[in-house]
Amino acid sequence: MIVYYMIVAVLLFAIGATGVMIRRNFIIVLMSLEIMLNGAGMLLIIMAYYLGNISGQVMFIFVAAVAASETAIGLAIAVMMYKRKGSLDINNFSMLKK
Amino acid sequence: MAEFVFFVLALVTIVGALGTVISRNAYASALWMVAAFLGVSGLFIMLNAPFIAMLQIIVYAGAIAVLIIFVMMLMDRRVLNNKERFNPQYLWGVVLGVGLLADLSALAFKFRINLSHIGENLTLNGSNTKMIGDVLFKRYLFPFEITAIILLIALIGAVVLTRKDINT
Repeated sequence: MIVYYMIVAVLLFAIGATGVMIRRNFIIVLMSLEIMLNGAGMLLIIMAYYLGNISGQVMFIFVAAVAASETAIGLAIAVMMYKRKGSLDINNFSMLKK
Repeated sequence: MAEFVFFVLALVTIVGALGTVISRNAYASALWMVAAFLGVSGLFIMLNAPFIAMLQIIVYAGAIAVLIIFVMMLMDRRVLNNKERFNPQYLWGVVLGVGLLADLSALAFKFRINLSHIGENLTLNGSNTKMIGDVLFKRYLFPFEITAIILLIALIGAVVLTRKDINT
C-alpha cells in the first residue's frame, strides 16, 4: 500500500516538473513549482508514516515555510517583470542576454 | 474502504495537478491547483498526520493560492491568458517529464527497508500536535529560528523587488 502513496508523490513531482518545462506563463510556472514542492513534502510524510517517526512531519513544516517565501519572491518578480515588459511570457524575460 | 478513499483522493490530486499544467485559462489553473492541494491534504489525514493536513489547507490552499489569485487579479486578462500555452520545444519537456516519472517510479517500486512498524509511533503517544511541538521546539529549534529569518528575508525581498524607483 505504501508504494501507491509513493507513486502519487512521484506523479505530482513529475507533473510539476513537466509544467515548469513546457508552460510559457510565468505564474503557471510558479504554480507548477508549488506542486513539485508538495510532491516532495508528501514523500516526507510518507516516510514519517512508514518509519513511525515524527521528524518527517516536522520537516514538512520547514518545506512549507520555504515554499511560501519562494512564492512571495516569485510573485514579486512576476509583478516587476509585468511592469517592465507588459508581458508574462518567460521567453521575453531574458534581460541579461545581449 | 481505506483503499477506496485512497483512490478517490489520489484521483482528485492527479487530476488537479494535470489540470494546473494543461489548463488554458490561468484562473482555472489556480483553482485546479487548489483541488490538488485539497486531495494531498486528504492523503495526509490517511497517513496519520492530521496536523500537517490542516497546515496544508491553511498554508497552501489558503495563503499561497489566494496570494497567486490576488496577483493575477492585478494583471490584464488578455496578457494572462495568452493564446500560446506551451513553449515551442514542449515535446522535449514532455519526454523529460515522462523519463523522470519512469525513473522515480522504478525507485519507488524497488524501495525496501525492513523495519516497518507502519504508523505505530505516530498514534501511540497521544496527540499528533503535541508530538510535533515537542520535536520541533527541542530537537529542531535552530532550524526553526533559521526558518523565521528566511521568512523575514522573503518579506524584505518582495518589498524591495516591487519598489517603484528600481532602475536598470
